Amino acid sequence: MRPIEFEILLTLATGERHGYAIIQDIEARSAGALTVETGTLYRALQRLVEGDLVRPADPRHDLPNDDERRRFYAITAAGKRAAADEARRMAALVEAARIARLIPGGT
Amino acid sequence: MTRPAFPDRPWWSRVYGQLLRAFPREFRDRWGPDMRLAFADRMRDAHRTSGRTPWKLIARELWILLDAGIKERLHASTPLPHMLHAQDIRYAFRLLARSPGFSLLTVLVLAGGLGLSTFTFSFLYTGMMRPLPLSEGDRIVRLTRIQDGLRRTQVDVVDVRMLRESMRTVHELGAYTKREVIVGREGDRRVLTTTVTDPTLFKVARTPALMGRALVPSDAEPGAEPVMVLSYRTWNVAFAGEREVVNAHVTVNGVSTRVVGVMPEGFGFPVAQDAWTPLPATMGASALTGSEYLSMFGRLAPGATHAQAAAEATSLLQAALVARDTSEQAAARMGMVVESFPAAQIGEERTLAFASMNVLAALILLLSLVNAGTLLSARANERVRETALRLALGASRGRIVMQGMWEGIILCLIAGIVGTAGVAWGLDAITSWTQAKMPDNLAFWWVWRMDLVTLLAAGAFVTVAIAVLGSVVSVRAIRTNVREVMQDSGARGGSRREGRLTRVLVAMQVTAVTVLMFVGVLSGVMARRVVTIDPGYDPTNLLQTALIPAPHRYPTVAARHEVYRLVQSGLAEHRALDRVMVRNQLAEHRSERGRFATLEASATSVLPTAHIVAASGAMSTLGIDLVEGREFTVSDDRTRAPVALISQSLAARHWRGRSPIGAQVRLAVVGDTLQWRTIVGVVSDIPYGDPLARDRTPDAIYVPVLQVDVPFVNVIVHHSATELAGRQALHEVFGAVDPLLVPGYVFRAQEVIDQAGLITTGMTKLFGSCFVFALLLAVAGTYGLMSRSIGLRTREIGVRRALGASDAMATRMLLAQGARQLGVGTLVAAPILVVVGAASTHFLPLGAMLTATAGVLVSASIIAVVLAATWLPTRKVLRVPLRDALWRE
Repeated sequence: MRPIEFEILLTLATGERHGYAIIQDIEARSAGALTVETGTLYRALQRLVEGDLVRPADPRHDLPNDDERRRFYAITAAGKRAAADEARRMAALVEAARIARLIPGGT
Repeated sequence: MTRPAFPDRPWWSRVYGQLLRAFPREFRDRWGPDMRLAFADRMRDAHRTSGRTPWKLIARELWILLDAGIKERLHASTPLPHMLHAQDIRYAFRLLARSPGFSLLTVLVLAGGLGLSTFTFSFLYTGMMRPLPLSEGDRIVRLTRIQDGLRRTQVDVVDVRMLRESMRTVHELGAYTKREVIVGREGDRRVLTTTVTDPTLFKVARTPALMGRALVPSDAEPGAEPVMVLSYRTWNVAFAGEREVVNAHVTVNGVSTRVVGVMPEGFGFPVAQDAWTPLPATMGASALTGSEYLSMFGRLAPGATHAQAAAEATSLLQAALVARDTSEQAAARMGMVVESFPAAQIGEERTLAFASMNVLAALILLLSLVNAGTLLSARANERVRETALRLALGASRGRIVMQGMWEGIILCLIAGIVGTAGVAWGLDAITSWTQAKMPDNLAFWWVWRMDLVTLLAAGAFVTVAIAVLGSVVSVRAIRTNVREVMQDSGARGGSRREGRLTRVLVAMQVTAVTVLMFVGVLSGVMARRVVTIDPGYDPTNLLQTALIPAPHRYPTVAARHEVYRLVQSGLAEHRALDRVMVRNQLAEHRSERGRFATLEASATSVLPTAHIVAASGAMSTLGIDLVEGREFTVSDDRTRAPVALISQSLAARHWRGRSPIGAQVRLAVVGDTLQWRTIVGVVSDIPYGDPLARDRTPDAIYVPVLQVDVPFVNVIVHHSATELAGRQALHEVFGAVDPLLVPGYVFRAQEVIDQAGLITTGMTKLFGSCFVFALLLAVAGTYGLMSRSIGLRTREIGVRRALGASDAMATRMLLAQGARQLGVGTLVAAPILVVVGAASTHFLPLGAMLTATAGVLVSASIIAVVLAATWLPTRKVLRVPLRDALWRE
């Protein structure tokens, strides 16, 4: 799984979002270290939708001043499993890095 | 302060929408609207946060969008198996073989463009940019002193020693100077240009001798045996390639000298040398400033750059100058330049010249691509039904595009091979020509041949050609509308689009050919001036050299005057010479230094100017004859009253209708602040100033050399017998006056004029043929395009005529079409012409009026060509009977 795909799944795991909201969420999480362009985001969304990891969600009208043309995206059950697997893989890698004393906190 | 409002429909949103087209249609339809919204949100937020247009973000978004679109398109297209490629290649070959005339024409047009672009690049690269063909040649540098950022001179011998001891950014520093010597062996005597050099030169060049040895440090030590190393060419020309020449003794200016080695073929470091002798240790060890000036070479230290080396050398030089009592202000005007030898040879404008000439060559390539693109596009149009049928039968557009691409690739590769073969032949021919015509003055690295850089350049140009032609074919295939074409019995589906493409191509041709012709005309004018150069005198049998008395041996004005007098009288009495003149130009016309005052002129009027020349001896040597009064004599020295001669033109201007003899002038340039000079004679006019410039003038005032203080003089002699005898006379007389006094480089006056003319004629022919090719391409291409474009409108014209339009109306309509493309092409070309024109008047001695006239004439001829190219097919269309025209598909 590519990092951008994991980032999208991570964002959608907390709730449905439209495209720009996903970008804002990823950039905020990385404290500005990561910049996501629309071209990159939608190519990744296309791959996730084709892989049944993300699905288009119903439009929401509960948000103030929101453009009703916006499409929302939600994570699927398969997406949640894939994201969890990826997270576990990453956690294992982090643990390995700790053991190798590449980062502090190892046992 | 209020922030600028966010625009309603900003341009970047429109660009974003256009760039979305880079994505496959399916992707675009599915995600495009949402992407636009997300982009718009993002821009609005960024604008709100910063209060400004977020340029950086826009640029990044648009770039990534294009990149993602292309990647998605590549990802979406079905990868073609190798078998399909092989099939497509075979299909493309069959198509090309089916119409050999078309294939041959396209290959020729492309080969011409590719060949000329590659040749121009390779020729200029070798001439201007290529590092020295020595081991790590790009690290070898030349060090020159520079004053006020402009005037470059050799380096004082004292500074040479200081720099050699102190510099860290340049290693293996050495010095050299050029000397002309007479080498004798068994009764045969020849004049050779030798490099008197530190033996380090051979270490820097990392080049061993072909036979014997190169110079070694012990050769330069005091008391060492005089030795000499020969170039390969000198060995062959002067010593008939005898192997026994190594260790043989020859005389160099009468001194017995042993030949210790012969350098390999093609070696001529630093520039173009016949032989090398060691720099006398006395010269290198001199502690007197101004006693000798030398050129310097060295190797950049690992990691050091030219700029760092120049900065270090400049600071060392300025510190040394201040330590020698030069004011800090004056020292700050001095600097050092560290550059490669090719850069030093061509001058500072080499990068600009290299880029501009390559842009012109690229325009020729553009013209040939436009023409080849037209041919391919016309052919694709002929096959539009076939393409539509195959699409209808299920062929993918990717497959159709690939098939078309292969046709373009094959044509470009064949043209590339033909063009590159032509380039190889051209480079060999130019090397042979230059070596035959300019054997003495050719820098040793100027050897043009097919090499890796040329091959890479050819590869790059072929790639560009494939990309451009491939795009033409792809666009044609992608835009084929199956339904439209299949419903239409003809092939008119694409005719409107083709019409648009034609208009763009014609406008491009007009732009390219206007610029090329303009540059061609200006180059032609310059070339004509060089070829018909008038030096102002008869150069036959004239030799010129410099007499530079070393300041430490001739420290006073009187001592220098004495050496000038002795040399002049010695030469005048020599039987091999019949005329001798010494001179030094003190000030140029139109410069502040060239101002002079006359007693008659009002004190408040602006002082007039003239060329101020110190002269002595027979002025008739340069064709300057006495018209009135007397010439200078040897007694016109500092003990006598100051005198002057003036040119006829000056006499006519300032003493109209009366004799200027006895009148008085005052010349600030020679220190006449208080004293007046009496005019004792009037002499005939010769033109002064840059021979290529139009503002040459014969206005001149001459003063006796022995009445002014000049550090050196130029000695001009007219030999009555052979040239060799003349050269020998110079060496003999200089040596008789002072054994340590040697002439500078001796050159024939005719030689300089011939060389300038020869190079210019050669280059003019070379680039002239390129321009003619470009012109032919443009004329043929424009006619072809217009003819096709108008031909496609045959039925439309027929309908108009049937509805009552007269022939004149139809002609006007079609000519207006041509005029529109002409207008667009000229509008694009106009700013380029202005820039080229301004650069020409700035860098070349070309007047603004001449440049403007050339621009107008070129534009007028292009207008005539395009209108003719429109009118001829228009007539043809109008001659088609109405009935035929209405049925024409």
